[in-house]
This record gives sequence, C-alpha cells and structure tokens, in this order.
Amino acid sequence: MRLLKVLGIYFYSAVLILIGLLLIIFSILFSLDKIPFQLHDINNLIVYLQNSFSARMTLGLSGFLLILISFWFAEIILGRFQREKTIAFPTAQGEVTIALSAVEDLIKRLAVFIPGIRELRPDVIASKKGIIVDLRVILKSEVNIPELTEKLQDITRSKIQEVLGIEEQIIIKIHVLKIVTHEEKPNKRKDQDRDDETPIPFGGYGRT
Amino acid sequence: MKEESHTDLGTIKIHKEVVASISNVAACEVEGVKRTGTNLKSVLMEFAGKKSSSAIKVEFDKNDEVKVEIPLIIKYGFSIPTVAARVQENVRNALEKMTNLTIKDINISVKGIERG
Repeated sequence: MRLLKVLGIYFYSAVLILIGLLLIIFSILFSLDKIPFQLHDINNLIVYLQNSFSARMTLGLSGFLLILISFWFAEIILGRFQREKTIAFPTAQGEVTIALSAVEDLIKRLAVFIPGIRELRPDVIASKKGIIVDLRVILKSEVNIPELTEKLQDITRSKIQEVLGIEEQIIIKIHVLKIVTHEEKPNKRKDQDRDDETPIPFGGYGRT
Repeated sequence: MKEESHTDLGTIKIHKEVVASISNVAACEVEGVKRTGTNLKSVLMEFAGKKSSSAIKVEFDKNDEVKVEIPLIIKYGFSIPTVAARVQENVRNALEKMTNLTIKDINISVKGIERG
C-alpha cells in the first residue's frame, strides 16, 4: 500500500509538472513568436479525429483510463482503503468490528495526557503478527527522549489493550519527527492574550 | 422492504427505517456512546431535511429474522468491547419489546472515538 501511495504521489506530481512545463514552453515560444505549429495543423488533427473511428476510440479510452487511474490513486492517497480495514471479534449477539481509524483516534488523544508531546500522528496496521502501531511524534525540546518514548510505548500498549480488550501482540514503533523549541509557544500565547483582552467600552467624553 | 405480520384484523408492516430508528435511539442511550455513525447517504438525506436518518443497516432474511448493523462513535475512555456488548443487549431488548421481531444478529462497527 505504501508503494502505491508513493506511486500515486509521483503520478500526480509528474502530471502537474508536465502541464507546468508545457505552459512554460508555450509561453516562451509565443513570446519569441515561434509557434511550433500552424493553425491548419490543429484543423487537420480535428478533421482526422472526426473521420477516424479508431483514433476517437483511442482518445476516449485513454481519457477514461486516466480518470480511473487518478481516481484509484486518489483513493489510495486519501487512505480510504486503510480506513475500511478493521479489527473484528465475534460476540454472542453478533460481531463487533473496530475501524483502524478509530484506534488511530484513540492514540491521538493520548498526546494530551503525556507532557512533553506536542503532537502524535499514528498509523495502525493489523497484520498476522498482531497490531502494528507506527507513531510519528513531535516532541517539546526539554524532554528526555528515551524515557518519554518508553513511557509512550507503555501507555499506548496498555490503552489499546484496555479499550479494545484484545490480547494480541501490539508492536509500537516510534519515529520522532521534530523537536519543537519553547520559543514557538509564547508567541502564540502573546497573540492569544491580545485577542483575549476585553476592550474597555468607550463611555464618551465629558460624561459623569 | 417491510416486515409484515398478520393479525385477525389485518396486517401490520414495520418498515426498515423504524427498526433503524429504534436501534439508533437504543444505541445512543448506552453510556459511552457518543453517536451513531453516518455515511454519504445519511448525510445527503439529512441535508435534504429528512430527520433521524442514520447509517444503520437493517436486513430481513427469508425466515423473517432481522440483522442490524450499527456504526458507532464511542466516547474516549470507555472500553469498546463493554460498550459494544451493552449496545447489542440494549438494541436487542428494545427491538424485541417494541416490534416483536426475531433478532438474528446485531453487528457493531466502531468507526471512531471522540471526546465525551
């Protein structure tokens, strides 16, 4: 799935780059007054397309294929397939399925309870080995990383076991994305303070 | 499709939407349930002004047994298996009490977790 995701991103980038390059080339050629084709060339092409059934079919099918490919890649990039994956367990009354995105929601909320963590971006995969949790974290600068990551692994594991009630193996991988310094926060707070200041209503001059 | 039962005076039909609505109310009564999930259809129906449209799926099989599928959003901090089991029990009780239908399965699908 990751390979397809990367392929999808490359596909879109390639298409956009191609469009961009074509626009740049055409703008340069137009400004130099060197148009690579004549108007009757376009006319000939349109006439050819009108007359040839196979050319029309090829054009239509390529368009349809392009739409399909782009829709497929969009689905992959947006993670719809991932979202539909679930953990299921049967009960006496029926079946209970838990979307992996729900588990991701659960893990995201843990960031609030662990000081030192600025942001958590979890990616949960259910495999034969068990549940694999890929955690990408943004930390605050003053923390001890080995201590904090160990604590985070423990808390995440116990929370998943407690909430999902499963005994499967849970593998937690942590990847520290960024360490944020304290300077970024006070600025925001200052801005907030400014917003929070309640304005003193102007009573007008010379009133008693 | 509607579930039909015959009485001396005539027939009583219960629409799928009715079963879905009862299930929706019964599920939301359980502590730990934030709300029932939505899908594109239910969002569009709600946008069109139709009330109580949820993504709950109801199926009647050949033996007149009902199968209900409930998407749930659960409050943060609650045990999912416990909440799911309570929802199954509450929905079964409510449906049996109100409709007299035979319930085959109540499948729960946890779609998300939100702060309570």
